[in-house]
Amino acid sequence: MISVIAYGLTLGGILYIISIGFSFTFGTMKIVNYAHALIFTIGGYILYATLPRIGFYPAAVLAATLGVIPIAFIIERFVIRNLYGESVDLTIIATYAVFLIGLDVLKWIWGSNPLQMSDPINKTFTFLGTELPVYRMAVIVIALALAILIEIFLQRSMAGKIVIAGLEDKETVRGLGISVQRYFTMVFIIGSALAALGGVLYAPITVVEPYMGFQILMLSFAVVIVGGLGNWRGTFVAAFFLGMVMSVTGRWWGPASEVAVFAILAVSLLIHPIDI
Amino acid sequence: MPSQPILETRDLSIAFGEYKAVDKVDFLINTGDCAGIIGPNGAGKSTFFNMLTGMYTPTAGAVFYQGVNITRLPVEKRVALGMVRTFQLVSVFDSLTVLQNMIPPVDRFRRQYANKRLFYFGEAESPEVVECCRTWLAKVGIEKRGREMTANLSYGEKRKLEIAMALSLEPKILLLDEPLAGLSDVEIKDVLGLIGGLRGKFTILLIEHKISQIQNLVRRLSVMHEGRMIAQGEPLEIIHDREIRRIYWGAGAE
Ligand SMILES: Nc1ncnc2c1ncn2[C@@H]1O[C@H](COP(=O)(O)OP(=O)(O)OP(=O)(O)O)[C@@H](O)[C@H]1O
Ligand SMILES: [Mg+2]
Repeated sequence: MISVIAYGLTLGGILYIISIGFSFTFGTMKIVNYAHALIFTIGGYILYATLPRIGFYPAAVLAATLGVIPIAFIIERFVIRNLYGESVDLTIIATYAVFLIGLDVLKWIWGSNPLQMSDPINKTFTFLGTELPVYRMAVIVIALALAILIEIFLQRSMAGKIVIAGLEDKETVRGLGISVQRYFTMVFIIGSALAALGGVLYAPITVVEPYMGFQILMLSFAVVIVGGLGNWRGTFVAAFFLGMVMSVTGRWWGPASEVAVFAILAVSLLIHPIDI
Repeated sequence: MPSQPILETRDLSIAFGEYKAVDKVDFLINTGDCAGIIGPNGAGKSTFFNMLTGMYTPTAGAVFYQGVNITRLPVEKRVALGMVRTFQLVSVFDSLTVLQNMIPPVDRFRRQYANKRLFYFGEAESPEVVECCRTWLAKVGIEKRGREMTANLSYGEKRKLEIAMALSLEPKILLLDEPLAGLSDVEIKDVLGLIGGLRGKFTILLIEHKISQIQNLVRRLSVMHEGRMIAQGEPLEIIHDREIRRIYWGAGAE
Protein backbone atom coordinates (compact mmCIF):
# COMPACT_ATOMS: atom_id res chain seq x y z
CA MET A 1 0.00 0.00 0.00
CA ILE A 2 2.69 2.45 1.06
CA SER A 3 4.73 1.64 -2.02
CA VAL A 4 1.70 2.24 -4.25
CA ILE A 5 1.21 5.67 -2.71
CA ALA A 6 4.91 6.49 -2.98
CA TYR A 7 4.96 5.47 -6.62
CA GLY A 8 1.84 7.53 -7.27
CA LEU A 9 3.50 10.59 -5.77
CA THR A 10 6.64 10.01 -7.82
CA LEU A 11 4.62 9.72 -11.01
CA GLY A 12 2.65 12.78 -9.94
CA GLY A 13 5.86 14.73 -9.40
CA ILE A 14 7.17 13.83 -12.82
CA LEU A 15 3.84 14.59 -14.46
CA TYR A 16 3.83 17.96 -12.75
CA ILE A 17 7.34 18.87 -13.83
CA ILE A 18 6.54 17.98 -17.42
CA SER A 19 3.06 19.45 -17.52
CA ILE A 20 3.73 22.86 -16.09
CA GLY A 21 5.41 24.19 -19.25
CA PHE A 22 2.81 22.53 -21.44
CA SER A 23 0.12 24.09 -19.28
CA PHE A 24 1.51 27.61 -19.61
CA THR A 25 1.97 27.36 -23.38
CA PHE A 26 -1.56 26.07 -23.68
CA GLY A 27 -2.95 28.64 -21.28
CA THR A 28 -1.18 31.71 -22.60
CA MET A 29 -0.84 31.08 -26.32
CA LYS A 30 -3.56 28.43 -26.81
CA ILE A 31 -0.97 26.23 -28.46
CA VAL A 32 -0.96 22.47 -27.96
CA ASN A 33 2.75 21.92 -28.18
CA TYR A 34 3.70 18.37 -29.18
CA ALA A 35 7.31 19.46 -29.45
CA HIS A 36 7.22 19.50 -25.68
CA ALA A 37 7.43 15.69 -25.83
CA LEU A 38 10.54 16.00 -27.94
CA ILE A 39 12.23 18.27 -25.42
CA PHE A 40 11.34 15.80 -22.70
CA THR A 41 12.93 12.96 -24.68
CA ILE A 42 16.01 15.02 -25.55
CA GLY A 43 16.46 15.64 -21.82
CA GLY A 44 16.65 11.89 -21.25
CA TYR A 45 19.16 11.43 -24.06
CA ILE A 46 21.41 14.29 -23.01
CA LEU A 47 21.53 12.75 -19.56
CA TYR A 48 22.40 9.37 -21.06
CA ALA A 49 25.13 10.91 -23.20
CA THR A 50 26.71 13.23 -20.67
CA LEU A 51 26.59 11.11 -17.53
CA PRO A 52 29.50 8.79 -18.45
CA ARG A 53 31.60 11.81 -19.41
CA ILE A 54 30.78 14.03 -16.48
CA GLY A 55 30.43 11.23 -13.99
CA PHE A 56 28.65 13.44 -11.46
CA TYR A 57 24.92 12.86 -11.61
CA PRO A 58 23.65 16.33 -10.57
CA ALA A 59 25.95 17.97 -13.12
CA ALA A 60 24.57 15.73 -15.88
CA VAL A 61 21.04 16.62 -14.78
CA LEU A 62 21.90 20.29 -15.02
CA ALA A 63 23.53 19.80 -18.42
CA ALA A 64 20.41 18.12 -19.76
CA THR A 65 18.07 20.71 -18.30
CA LEU A 66 20.02 23.69 -19.60
CA GLY A 67 21.13 21.93 -22.78
CA VAL A 68 17.63 22.02 -24.25
CA ILE A 69 17.33 25.79 -23.89
CA PRO A 70 18.86 26.62 -27.28
CA ILE A 71 16.64 24.00 -28.90
CA ALA A 72 13.58 25.39 -27.15
CA PHE A 73 14.58 28.86 -28.23
CA ILE A 74 14.78 27.83 -31.87
CA ILE A 75 11.44 26.01 -31.70
CA GLU A 76 9.83 29.04 -30.11
CA ARG A 77 11.32 31.50 -32.53
CA PHE A 78 10.60 29.65 -35.75
CA VAL A 79 7.54 27.53 -35.02
CA ILE A 80 5.60 28.51 -31.92
CA ARG A 81 5.68 32.22 -32.54
CA ASN A 82 4.24 31.77 -36.00
CA LEU A 83 1.38 29.73 -34.59
CA TYR A 84 0.26 32.50 -32.34
CA GLY A 85 -3.45 33.06 -32.91
CA GLU A 86 -3.79 30.09 -35.25
CA SER A 87 -6.36 27.34 -34.79
CA VAL A 88 -5.56 24.62 -32.30
CA ASP A 89 -5.53 21.94 -35.01
CA LEU A 90 -2.86 23.80 -36.92
CA THR A 91 -0.74 24.17 -33.79
CA ILE A 92 -0.98 20.41 -33.23
CA ILE A 93 0.00 19.59 -36.81
CA ALA A 94 2.94 22.00 -36.85
CA THR A 95 4.38 21.02 -33.47
CA TYR A 96 3.78 17.34 -34.23
CA ALA A 97 5.91 17.81 -37.33
CA VAL A 98 8.68 19.23 -35.16
CA PHE A 99 8.29 16.24 -32.85
CA LEU A 100 8.63 13.75 -35.73
CA ILE A 101 11.64 15.50 -37.22
CA GLY A 102 13.34 15.59 -33.85
CA LEU A 103 12.50 11.95 -33.30
CA ASP A 104 14.30 10.99 -36.50
CA VAL A 105 17.33 12.97 -35.48
CA LEU A 106 17.37 11.18 -32.12
CA LYS A 107 17.04 7.79 -33.81
CA TRP A 108 19.80 8.69 -36.21
CA ILE A 109 22.14 9.57 -33.34
CA TRP A 110 21.26 6.93 -30.78
CA GLY A 111 19.21 4.32 -32.64
CA SER A 112 15.79 3.18 -31.50
CA ASN A 113 16.83 0.63 -28.92
CA PRO A 114 15.79 1.41 -25.37
CA LEU A 115 18.73 2.52 -23.27
CA GLN A 116 18.79 1.42 -19.69
CA MET A 117 19.78 3.82 -16.93
CA SER A 118 20.57 2.79 -13.41
CA ASP A 119 19.12 4.32 -10.28
CA PRO A 120 21.53 7.18 -9.54
CA ILE A 121 21.11 6.96 -5.78
CA ASN A 122 20.52 3.25 -5.52
CA LYS A 123 19.63 3.28 -1.86
CA THR A 124 16.43 2.45 -0.14
CA PHE A 125 14.96 3.36 3.18
CA THR A 126 12.27 1.74 5.25
CA PHE A 127 9.09 3.63 5.94
CA LEU A 128 6.36 1.95 8.03
CA GLY A 129 7.82 -1.41 7.18
CA THR A 130 7.96 -0.75 3.43
CA GLU A 131 11.21 -0.41 1.57
CA LEU A 132 11.25 2.64 -0.72
CA PRO A 133 13.90 3.87 -3.19
CA VAL A 134 15.43 7.16 -2.02
CA TYR A 135 15.54 8.32 -5.63
CA ARG A 136 11.78 8.29 -5.98
CA MET A 137 11.43 10.35 -2.84
CA ALA A 138 13.97 12.81 -4.22
CA VAL A 139 11.80 13.24 -7.32
CA ILE A 140 8.81 14.13 -5.15
CA VAL A 141 10.84 16.66 -3.19
CA ILE A 142 12.13 18.28 -6.39
CA ALA A 143 8.59 18.55 -7.77
CA LEU A 144 7.33 20.19 -4.59
CA ALA A 145 10.27 22.59 -4.51
CA LEU A 146 9.57 23.59 -8.11
CA ALA A 147 5.91 24.16 -7.36
CA ILE A 148 6.87 26.49 -4.53
CA LEU A 149 9.39 28.36 -6.70
CA ILE A 150 6.81 28.83 -9.43
CA GLU A 151 4.28 30.08 -6.91
CA ILE A 152 6.79 32.58 -5.53
CA PHE A 153 7.69 33.76 -9.02
CA LEU A 154 4.05 34.28 -9.98
CA GLN A 155 2.94 35.86 -6.72
CA ARG A 156 5.90 37.98 -5.80
CA SER A 157 7.53 39.30 -8.94
CA MET A 158 6.36 41.91 -11.41
CA ALA A 159 7.03 39.51 -14.27
CA GLY A 160 4.87 36.92 -12.52
CA LYS A 161 1.95 39.31 -12.27
CA ILE A 162 2.25 40.06 -15.96
CA VAL A 163 2.23 36.35 -16.75
CA ILE A 164 -0.93 35.83 -14.64
CA ALA A 165 -2.58 38.77 -16.36
CA GLY A 166 -1.49 37.35 -19.73
CA LEU A 167 -3.05 34.00 -18.91
CA GLU A 168 -6.34 35.75 -18.35
CA ASP A 169 -6.33 38.17 -21.28
CA LYS A 170 -3.26 38.78 -23.38
CA GLU A 171 -4.84 41.47 -25.56
CA THR A 172 -5.53 43.61 -22.53
CA VAL A 173 -1.94 43.21 -21.38
CA ARG A 174 -0.76 44.42 -24.77
CA GLY A 175 -3.21 47.28 -24.44
CA LEU A 176 -1.26 48.30 -21.35
CA GLY A 177 1.84 48.71 -23.46
CA ILE A 178 3.54 45.47 -22.46
CA SER A 179 5.15 43.14 -25.03
CA VAL A 180 3.39 40.17 -23.58
CA GLN A 181 4.92 37.88 -26.19
CA ARG A 182 8.29 38.43 -24.59
CA TYR A 183 6.99 37.07 -21.29
CA PHE A 184 5.38 34.11 -23.04
CA THR A 185 8.72 33.32 -24.66
CA MET A 186 10.41 33.38 -21.29
CA VAL A 187 7.75 31.09 -19.84
CA PHE A 188 8.08 28.79 -22.82
CA ILE A 189 11.83 28.45 -22.35
CA ILE A 190 11.52 27.79 -18.63
CA GLY A 191 8.73 25.30 -19.28
CA SER A 192 10.88 23.50 -21.83
CA ALA A 193 13.81 23.29 -19.46
CA LEU A 194 11.46 21.74 -16.91
CA ALA A 195 10.22 19.24 -19.52
CA ALA A 196 13.81 18.18 -20.02
CA LEU A 197 14.24 17.91 -16.28
CA GLY A 198 11.16 15.70 -16.24
CA GLY A 199 12.74 13.45 -18.88
CA VAL A 200 15.94 13.33 -16.89
CA LEU A 201 14.16 12.37 -13.69
CA TYR A 202 11.97 9.82 -15.44
CA ALA A 203 14.81 8.13 -17.33
CA PRO A 204 16.08 5.96 -14.44
CA ILE A 205 12.52 4.87 -13.66
CA THR A 206 11.83 3.62 -17.18
CA VAL A 207 14.21 3.52 -20.13
CA VAL A 208 15.43 6.15 -22.55
CA GLU A 209 13.91 5.56 -25.98
CA PRO A 210 12.74 7.81 -28.82
CA TYR A 211 9.04 7.46 -28.03
CA MET A 212 9.28 7.95 -24.30
CA GLY A 213 7.92 11.46 -24.68
CA PHE A 214 4.88 10.51 -26.65
CA GLN A 215 3.02 8.52 -24.04
CA ILE A 216 3.92 10.99 -21.35
CA LEU A 217 2.68 13.90 -23.45
CA MET A 218 -0.77 12.31 -23.66
CA LEU A 219 -0.77 12.02 -19.90
CA SER A 220 0.45 15.58 -19.63
CA PHE A 221 -2.36 16.70 -21.88
CA ALA A 222 -4.82 15.01 -19.54
CA VAL A 223 -3.21 16.75 -16.55
CA VAL A 224 -3.54 20.17 -18.16
CA ILE A 225 -7.18 19.68 -19.15
CA VAL A 226 -8.24 18.13 -15.86
CA GLY A 227 -6.39 20.87 -13.97
CA GLY A 228 -8.11 23.59 -15.97
CA LEU A 229 -6.74 25.72 -18.80
CA GLY A 230 -4.34 28.37 -17.62
CA ASN A 231 -4.67 27.19 -14.03
CA TRP A 232 -1.18 26.43 -12.76
CA ARG A 233 -2.38 25.31 -9.33
CA GLY A 234 -4.92 23.04 -10.99
CA THR A 235 -2.07 21.54 -12.99
CA PHE A 236 -0.29 20.75 -9.75
CA VAL A 237 -3.30 19.08 -8.16
CA ALA A 238 -4.24 17.19 -11.31
CA ALA A 239 -0.69 15.89 -11.80
CA PHE A 240 -0.57 14.30 -8.36
CA PHE A 241 -4.15 13.11 -8.57
CA LEU A 242 -3.60 11.40 -11.92
CA GLY A 243 -0.22 10.05 -10.81
CA MET A 244 -1.97 8.43 -7.90
CA VAL A 245 -4.75 7.08 -10.10
CA MET A 246 -2.16 5.51 -12.40
CA SER A 247 -0.27 3.95 -9.55
CA VAL A 248 -3.37 2.46 -7.93
CA THR A 249 -4.97 1.12 -11.11
CA GLY A 250 -1.57 -0.03 -12.38
CA ARG A 251 -1.12 -2.15 -9.29
CA TRP A 252 -4.44 -3.80 -9.92
CA TRP A 253 -3.96 -4.31 -13.65
CA GLY A 254 -1.09 -2.69 -15.56
CA PRO A 255 -2.80 -1.70 -18.82
CA ALA A 256 -5.70 -0.11 -16.91
CA SER A 257 -3.59 2.75 -15.59
CA GLU A 258 -3.70 4.87 -18.72
CA VAL A 259 -7.27 3.96 -19.48
CA ALA A 260 -8.20 5.30 -16.07
CA VAL A 261 -6.44 8.60 -16.79
CA PHE A 262 -8.26 9.07 -20.06
CA ALA A 263 -11.56 8.09 -18.50
CA ILE A 264 -11.03 10.90 -15.99
CA LEU A 265 -10.08 13.24 -18.82
CA ALA A 266 -13.32 12.36 -20.61
CA VAL A 267 -15.40 12.97 -17.49
CA SER A 268 -13.66 16.29 -16.90
CA LEU A 269 -14.39 17.35 -20.47
CA LEU A 270 -18.03 16.43 -19.99
CA ILE A 271 -18.28 18.47 -16.81
CA HIS A 272 -16.60 21.56 -18.17
CA PRO A 273 -15.95 21.47 -21.91
CA ILE A 274 -13.02 23.57 -22.99
CA ASP A 275 -13.55 26.22 -25.54
CA ILE A 276 -10.42 27.56 -27.07
CA MET B 1 -0.63 77.83 -29.81
CA PRO B 2 -2.84 76.84 -32.74
CA SER B 3 -4.20 73.34 -32.26
CA GLN B 4 -2.31 70.57 -33.89
CA PRO B 5 -3.93 67.33 -34.99
CA ILE B 6 -2.89 64.53 -32.63
CA LEU B 7 -4.64 61.74 -34.46
CA GLU B 8 -5.77 61.58 -38.05
CA THR B 9 -7.03 58.90 -40.39
CA ARG B 10 -7.19 58.96 -44.15
CA ASP B 11 -9.39 56.62 -46.13
CA LEU B 12 -9.23 54.17 -43.25
CA SER B 13 -11.02 50.95 -44.21
CA ILE B 14 -11.32 47.37 -43.11
CA ALA B 15 -13.31 44.55 -44.64
CA PHE B 16 -14.13 41.20 -43.07
CA GLY B 17 -14.53 39.08 -46.17
CA GLU B 18 -16.93 41.03 -48.36
CA TYR B 19 -18.29 43.07 -45.51
CA LYS B 20 -16.90 46.59 -45.19
CA ALA B 21 -17.05 47.22 -41.44
CA VAL B 22 -15.26 50.56 -41.77
CA ASP B 23 -15.22 52.27 -45.12
CA LYS B 24 -12.91 55.13 -46.16
CA VAL B 25 -13.02 57.11 -42.95
CA ASP B 26 -11.31 60.48 -42.79
CA PHE B 27 -11.14 61.59 -39.23
CA LEU B 28 -9.19 64.17 -37.28
CA ILE B 29 -8.89 65.14 -33.65
CA ASN B 30 -6.82 68.03 -32.34
CA THR B 31 -4.47 67.95 -29.38
CA GLY B 32 -6.29 68.67 -26.16
CA ASP B 33 -9.74 68.26 -27.62
CA CYS B 34 -12.58 66.15 -26.25
CA ALA B 35 -14.61 64.50 -28.96
CA GLY B 36 -17.23 61.81 -29.29
CA ILE B 37 -18.25 59.26 -31.87
CA ILE B 38 -21.82 58.09 -31.92
CA GLY B 39 -23.62 55.61 -34.10
CA PRO B 40 -26.05 52.71 -33.97
CA ASN B 41 -25.15 49.10 -33.22
CA GLY B 42 -22.74 47.60 -35.69
CA ALA B 43 -21.83 50.96 -37.22
CA GLY B 44 -18.14 50.11 -36.96
CA LYS B 45 -17.18 52.33 -34.02
CA SER B 46 -15.28 49.72 -32.05
CA THR B 47 -13.69 48.40 -35.22
CA PHE B 48 -12.52 51.93 -35.99
CA PHE B 49 -10.96 52.13 -32.49
CA ASN B 50 -9.30 48.78 -33.00
CA MET B 51 -7.56 50.14 -36.06
CA LEU B 52 -6.55 53.33 -34.28
CA THR B 53 -4.94 51.32 -31.48
CA GLY B 54 -3.40 48.64 -33.68
CA MET B 55 -5.50 45.63 -32.74
CA TYR B 56 -6.79 45.34 -36.30
CA THR B 57 -4.73 45.98 -39.40
CA PRO B 58 -6.65 48.13 -41.90
CA THR B 59 -7.20 46.77 -45.38
CA ALA B 60 -6.68 50.27 -46.76
CA GLY B 61 -5.92 53.79 -45.64
CA ALA B 62 -3.63 55.14 -42.94
CA VAL B 63 -3.48 56.33 -39.34
CA PHE B 64 -1.32 59.28 -38.38
CA TYR B 65 -0.31 60.07 -34.84
CA GLN B 66 1.29 63.45 -34.28
CA GLY B 67 1.98 63.55 -37.98
CA VAL B 68 3.68 60.16 -38.12
CA ASN B 69 2.21 57.24 -40.04
CA ILE B 70 1.60 54.52 -37.45
CA THR B 71 -0.73 52.30 -39.49
CA ARG B 72 1.39 49.20 -38.90
CA LEU B 73 2.82 49.95 -35.49
CA PRO B 74 2.11 47.22 -32.89
CA VAL B 75 -0.34 47.92 -30.08
CA GLU B 76 2.23 48.16 -27.30
CA LYS B 77 4.38 50.67 -29.19
CA ARG B 78 1.39 52.94 -29.65
CA VAL B 79 0.80 52.85 -25.92
CA ALA B 80 4.40 53.89 -25.44
CA LEU B 81 3.68 56.90 -27.65
CA GLY B 82 0.79 57.88 -25.40
CA MET B 83 -2.21 56.28 -27.07
CA VAL B 84 -4.22 54.48 -24.43
CA ARG B 85 -7.65 52.89 -24.59
CA THR B 86 -10.39 51.20 -22.62
CA PHE B 87 -12.63 48.49 -24.00
CA GLN B 88 -16.36 48.29 -24.62
CA LEU B 89 -16.48 45.22 -22.40
CA VAL B 90 -14.53 46.23 -19.30
CA SER B 91 -11.11 44.62 -19.49
CA VAL B 92 -9.51 44.09 -16.12
CA PHE B 93 -7.90 41.01 -14.62
CA ASP B 94 -10.39 39.13 -12.45
CA SER B 95 -7.72 36.73 -11.19
CA LEU B 96 -5.72 39.52 -9.53
CA THR B 97 -6.61 41.86 -6.69
CA VAL B 98 -7.64 45.41 -7.56
CA LEU B 99 -4.26 46.72 -6.55
CA GLN B 100 -2.42 44.04 -8.48
CA ASN B 101 -4.31 45.06 -11.59
CA MET B 102 -2.46 48.34 -11.39
CA ILE B 103 0.94 46.65 -11.28
CA PRO B 104 1.45 45.82 -14.97
CA PRO B 105 0.67 49.34 -16.21
CA VAL B 106 2.60 50.99 -13.40
CA ASP B 107 5.50 48.65 -14.06
CA ARG B 108 5.60 49.56 -17.71
CA PHE B 109 5.53 53.21 -16.84
CA ARG B 110 8.25 53.00 -14.22
CA ARG B 111 10.65 51.34 -16.56
CA GLN B 112 9.89 53.55 -19.55
CA TYR B 113 8.95 51.03 -22.17
CA ALA B 114 11.65 48.96 -23.87
CA ASN B 115 14.62 50.13 -21.85
CA LYS B 116 17.69 48.02 -21.33
CA ARG B 117 16.06 45.46 -19.12
CA LEU B 118 14.13 42.71 -20.84
CA PHE B 119 12.11 41.64 -17.83
CA TYR B 120 11.46 43.07 -14.49
CA PHE B 121 11.84 40.59 -11.67
CA GLY B 122 11.56 43.17 -8.92
CA GLU B 123 9.20 42.61 -6.06
CA ALA B 124 5.66 43.09 -7.30
CA GLU B 125 4.23 44.65 -4.18
CA SER B 126 7.08 46.70 -2.83
CA PRO B 127 5.91 49.64 -0.69
CA GLU B 128 6.89 51.99 -3.48
CA VAL B 129 4.79 50.21 -6.10
CA VAL B 130 1.82 49.82 -3.76
CA GLU B 131 1.94 53.52 -2.96
CA CYS B 132 2.00 54.38 -6.64
CA CYS B 133 -0.93 52.04 -7.40
CA ARG B 134 -2.96 53.48 -4.53
CA THR B 135 -2.51 57.00 -5.81
CA TRP B 136 -4.03 56.03 -9.13
CA LEU B 137 -6.87 54.11 -7.51
CA ALA B 138 -7.63 57.18 -5.39
CA LYS B 139 -8.03 59.26 -8.51
CA VAL B 140 -11.06 57.19 -9.49
CA GLY B 141 -12.28 56.74 -5.94
CA ILE B 142 -11.75 53.01 -5.41
CA GLU B 143 -8.60 53.02 -3.26
CA LYS B 144 -10.53 51.36 -0.41
CA ARG B 145 -11.12 48.31 -2.60
CA GLY B 146 -7.40 47.70 -3.21
CA ARG B 147 -7.15 44.33 -1.45
CA GLU B 148 -10.40 42.99 -2.89
CA MET B 149 -10.35 40.37 -5.64
CA THR B 150 -11.30 42.15 -8.83
CA ALA B 151 -13.90 39.51 -9.62
CA ASN B 152 -15.91 40.82 -6.63
CA LEU B 153 -16.21 44.38 -7.91
CA SER B 154 -19.38 45.76 -9.46
CA TYR B 155 -19.26 46.47 -13.17
CA GLY B 156 -19.03 50.18 -12.47
CA GLU B 157 -16.11 49.72 -10.10
CA LYS B 158 -14.36 47.60 -12.69
CA ARG B 159 -14.89 50.39 -15.19
CA LYS B 160 -13.28 52.84 -12.81
CA LEU B 161 -10.39 50.45 -12.26
CA GLU B 162 -9.94 50.15 -16.00
CA ILE B 163 -9.85 53.94 -16.27
CA ALA B 164 -7.31 54.13 -13.43
CA MET B 165 -5.12 51.65 -15.27
CA ALA B 166 -5.39 53.74 -18.41
CA LEU B 167 -4.60 56.96 -16.54
CA SER B 168 -1.52 55.43 -14.94
CA LEU B 169 -0.08 55.02 -18.43
CA GLU B 170 -0.12 58.82 -18.67
CA PRO B 171 -1.90 59.04 -22.01
CA LYS B 172 -1.58 61.84 -24.50
CA ILE B 173 -4.81 60.63 -26.03
CA LEU B 174 -7.33 58.45 -24.24
CA LEU B 175 -9.77 56.41 -26.30
CA LEU B 176 -12.84 55.27 -24.37
CA ASP B 177 -15.12 52.69 -25.98
CA GLU B 178 -18.60 53.15 -24.50
CA PRO B 179 -17.37 53.89 -20.97
CA LEU B 180 -20.97 54.29 -19.76
CA ALA B 181 -22.42 51.10 -21.20
CA GLY B 182 -23.79 48.73 -18.59
CA LEU B 183 -23.49 51.16 -15.68
CA SER B 184 -26.22 52.18 -13.24
CA ASP B 185 -27.45 55.79 -13.26
CA VAL B 186 -25.32 56.66 -10.23
CA GLU B 187 -22.25 55.10 -11.78
CA ILE B 188 -22.89 56.92 -15.05
CA LYS B 189 -22.87 60.21 -13.15
CA ASP B 190 -19.60 59.23 -11.44
CA VAL B 191 -17.85 58.21 -14.60
CA LEU B 192 -19.11 61.23 -16.53
CA GLY B 193 -17.75 63.43 -13.73
CA LEU B 194 -14.48 61.60 -13.88
CA ILE B 195 -14.11 62.04 -17.62
CA GLY B 196 -15.24 65.67 -17.35
CA GLY B 197 -12.43 66.29 -14.88
CA LEU B 198 -9.89 64.91 -17.33
CA ARG B 199 -10.81 67.31 -20.10
CA GLY B 200 -8.00 69.67 -20.93
CA LYS B 201 -5.34 67.43 -19.39
CA PHE B 202 -5.01 65.36 -22.52
CA THR B 203 -6.96 64.54 -25.64
CA ILE B 204 -10.08 62.43 -25.18
CA LEU B 205 -12.04 60.52 -27.79
CA LEU B 206 -15.02 58.49 -26.68
CA ILE B 207 -17.63 56.29 -28.24
CA GLU B 208 -21.18 56.44 -27.02
CA HIS B 209 -24.52 55.11 -28.11
CA LYS B 210 -26.75 57.89 -26.91
CA ILE B 211 -26.14 61.48 -27.92
CA SER B 212 -27.87 62.81 -24.81
CA GLN B 213 -25.31 61.30 -22.43
CA ILE B 214 -22.36 63.16 -23.85
CA GLN B 215 -23.67 66.22 -25.61
CA ASN B 216 -22.50 68.44 -22.78
CA LEU B 217 -19.20 66.62 -22.36
CA VAL B 218 -17.70 66.75 -25.83
CA ARG B 219 -16.82 69.67 -28.01
CA ARG B 220 -17.07 67.79 -31.25
CA LEU B 221 -19.19 64.90 -32.35
CA SER B 222 -18.85 62.50 -35.26
CA VAL B 223 -21.54 60.17 -36.45
CA MET B 224 -20.80 56.73 -37.80
CA HIS B 225 -23.25 54.75 -39.80
CA GLU B 226 -22.70 51.51 -41.71
CA GLY B 227 -18.95 51.89 -41.66
CA ARG B 228 -18.91 55.49 -42.77
CA MET B 229 -18.34 58.71 -40.89
CA ILE B 230 -21.40 60.56 -42.10
CA ALA B 231 -21.14 63.79 -40.16
CA GLN B 232 -18.78 65.73 -37.94
CA GLY B 233 -19.45 68.94 -36.09
CA GLU B 234 -20.48 70.55 -32.84
CA PRO B 235 -22.91 68.51 -30.75
CA LEU B 236 -25.83 70.90 -31.23
CA GLU B 237 -25.37 71.04 -34.98
CA ILE B 238 -25.37 67.28 -35.13
CA ILE B 239 -28.41 66.89 -32.92
CA HIS B 240 -30.43 69.20 -35.09
CA ASP B 241 -29.35 67.78 -38.40
CA ARG B 242 -32.39 66.35 -40.17
CA GLU B 243 -30.58 63.60 -42.00
CA ILE B 244 -28.88 62.37 -38.85
CA ARG B 245 -32.09 62.38 -36.88
CA ARG B 246 -33.69 60.33 -39.60
CA ILE B 247 -30.89 57.76 -39.58
CA TYR B 248 -30.78 57.66 -35.84
CA TRP B 249 -34.48 57.21 -35.27
CA GLY B 250 -34.63 54.96 -38.23
CA ALA B 251 -32.00 52.78 -36.62
CA GLY B 252 -33.92 52.65 -33.38
CA ALA B 253 -31.51 54.48 -31.11
CA GLU B 254 -33.03 57.38 -29.21
N1 LIG C 1 -13.11 40.43 -36.11
C1 LIG C 1 -14.25 40.57 -36.84
N2 LIG C 1 -14.60 39.65 -37.77
C2 LIG C 1 -15.72 39.78 -38.48
N3 LIG C 1 -16.58 40.80 -38.36
C3 LIG C 1 -16.31 41.75 -37.46
C4 LIG C 1 -15.13 41.69 -36.65
N4 LIG C 1 -15.11 42.77 -35.82
C5 LIG C 1 -16.23 43.46 -36.11
N5 LIG C 1 -16.94 42.87 -37.09
C6 LIG C 1 -18.19 43.35 -37.67
O1 LIG C 1 -18.06 44.71 -37.97
C7 LIG C 1 -19.27 45.39 -37.73
C8 LIG C 1 -19.01 46.59 -36.85
O2 LIG C 1 -18.77 46.14 -35.53
P1 LIG C 1 -18.35 47.13 -34.36
O3 LIG C 1 -18.12 46.31 -33.17
O4 LIG C 1 -17.26 48.00 -34.82
O5 LIG C 1 -19.67 47.99 -34.18
P2 LIG C 1 -19.97 49.14 -33.12
O6 LIG C 1 -20.26 50.35 -33.88
O7 LIG C 1 -18.89 49.20 -32.12
O8 LIG C 1 -21.33 48.59 -32.48
P3 LIG C 1 -21.80 48.54 -30.95
O9 LIG C 1 -22.46 49.83 -30.68
O10 LIG C 1 -22.75 47.40 -30.94
O11 LIG C 1 -20.60 48.31 -30.12
C9 LIG C 1 -20.22 44.40 -37.10
O12 LIG C 1 -21.11 43.95 -38.09
C10 LIG C 1 -19.34 43.27 -36.67
O13 LIG C 1 -20.00 42.05 -36.74
MG1 LIG D 1 -18.70 48.78 -30.18
